[in-house]
Amino acid sequence: MKMPTARQRRLRTILFWAVPAILLLVPLGTNAYTQFIVNGMLISTLVTLGFTIVIGNLGQLAFANTAFFGIGAYGSAILAAKLGVPWLLTIPIAGVFGAAGGFLASAAALRGIRSYYLAIITLAFGELMRWSYLHAKPLTGGTDGLPMPRETLFGTSLTDDTVKFYVFLVVTVLLVKATANLLASRFGRAVMAVRENEVATASLAIPTSRVILVTFIWSGFVVGCAGALFARHIGHVFPESFGMLHLIASFAMVLVGGLGSVLGAVLGAVMLTALPEYLRAFPGMEELFFGLIVAAVLVALPMGLASLLRRLSPIFVERFYREAR
Amino acid sequence: MFMQLTLSGLAQGAIYALIALSLTVVYRSTTVVNFGHGDFVMAGAFLSYVLVVLGGVAFLPAGALAVVAMFVLGVLFNRGLIRPILGGPHIGLALMCIAGGYVLRGIARMVWGREVLPMPPVFDMPPIFFGSLVITGDAIVIISTVLVLLLCFFGLLALTDLGKMVQAVYQSPRGARLIGLNVDRFNDVSWGVGAALGALGGILVAPVTLLHPDLGASFLIKGFAAMTLGGFGSLGGAVLGGVLLGIGEQYAGAYLDSSLIEITAYVIIVLVLFVRPQGLLGRKAVVKV
Repeated sequence: MKMPTARQRRLRTILFWAVPAILLLVPLGTNAYTQFIVNGMLISTLVTLGFTIVIGNLGQLAFANTAFFGIGAYGSAILAAKLGVPWLLTIPIAGVFGAAGGFLASAAALRGIRSYYLAIITLAFGELMRWSYLHAKPLTGGTDGLPMPRETLFGTSLTDDTVKFYVFLVVTVLLVKATANLLASRFGRAVMAVRENEVATASLAIPTSRVILVTFIWSGFVVGCAGALFARHIGHVFPESFGMLHLIASFAMVLVGGLGSVLGAVLGAVMLTALPEYLRAFPGMEELFFGLIVAAVLVALPMGLASLLRRLSPIFVERFYREAR
Repeated sequence: MFMQLTLSGLAQGAIYALIALSLTVVYRSTTVVNFGHGDFVMAGAFLSYVLVVLGGVAFLPAGALAVVAMFVLGVLFNRGLIRPILGGPHIGLALMCIAGGYVLRGIARMVWGREVLPMPPVFDMPPIFFGSLVITGDAIVIISTVLVLLLCFFGLLALTDLGKMVQAVYQSPRGARLIGLNVDRFNDVSWGVGAALGALGGILVAPVTLLHPDLGASFLIKGFAAMTLGGFGSLGGAVLGGVLLGIGEQYAGAYLDSSLIEITAYVIIVLVLFVRPQGLLGRKAVVKV
């Protein structure tokens, strides 16, 4: 695979900042409904990004993503609704809650619970969290969920999707850039080295346990922040939002975009957020659609759309990225 | 009270044992953990529902038909979707199973919508009173069916040449291939048997539970919990784990809090993996460098 030249790398940096700059204009061309969907795309981007660094870059079969998302959303909603914390402030706090979830998941991985065991224990973790949303009624409102309080931001109401959009955009761009930088650093190289061969990595005096720990915590932080955005996005947090359908949707986004690719996370999230909106009217179509798309990608294009783009131009080659065998 | 709980726990546990066993059969042959297995269970229940309620077939032939159909589906799933990516990373295999499960769930929901369907009573015999113990027809049918099935299954493995072949493939698929066993076909059959046994679990619970397209998810977790408790990959352990889980749930629900029934399985998974990852009957995994 050709690596990008210095000129192409500069071009890539310009492109990276040009995209959000153009996105600033999006609210000019949307109505309330399409704006709502665009906001959802930004949230999906973060959820997919947090997921892909664990299953793609670190190569761990951890399904706790939905749990991080729920922890972030409920954390934000409880802080805002019960304690009156301004929502904007709850975003980083929800991120920290998500990171705590990531710490727990990594504790399992570091105890040698790997592969399918890790998948099963993280699935159980997610379902235990959902059970506690349902049963911790005084805090979470049980099945009725928890409404977000009305708030204003610089004099405009936070129920307005355009206002939300600008906040979401800033948070998303910051976290995507931070993650991309993290993966392009020495640390990112260590993450992928752990995926390829943990023992060999340890033999190079790289603290593999710390690498696993930090990757899970960062994944939890990103997805936790996304949870806080989601709480404001739908305005009311329900336990059902954090079930298995959310998990398969995240899988599909990660796979369609390309495992372990930042660009892929964005692509997958953008492509697969809007489509299910149109399928929602037909019961079962959502599941059928996600199931078929995941199966098709796995057989025909295992490294997703990002691998197609990489072949197209070296601009899209992410540093230290390696095609799986 | 105690005996009553134990009995209903046994009936539940028999189903869990069946599901855990079917997961283990697939896992041991292809080393794939079928994350879509819950939906195979659901599909079995739904197929029998369709045949009984919409097709007017009697329950027994309907169940048999559903089991055969699911066997074929399991074989096709392995051939078409698992075998092409079997050499790849675990993540791809896990995702493929989940995707397959979702397709089944999507189809079920397309046909039945978001309703919850009750199956007409099938095991319509008067309960037997045994002192203060009430033995329902469902419990008798479930426990005896599973018991007979398990006897046949383990009998086949222990006493016949087929059992020796199974042992050979489990120990070394490559070695088995070298001595002329058709491992690909063995894997096909394993997936078929796994799907059929799982579906049978669904068919047996169909008359005593409400049917909806999402019913597989909880059975999948119960199956995992049973496997983990008994020892991941151990056939006998899966059965033991299933029975213990079924009984444990009933005790936890009655003596502690009824809302605990739903999470007993999750708690067991977390506890066992942290405290004794090899489970009750499993052997300690040796990490080779």
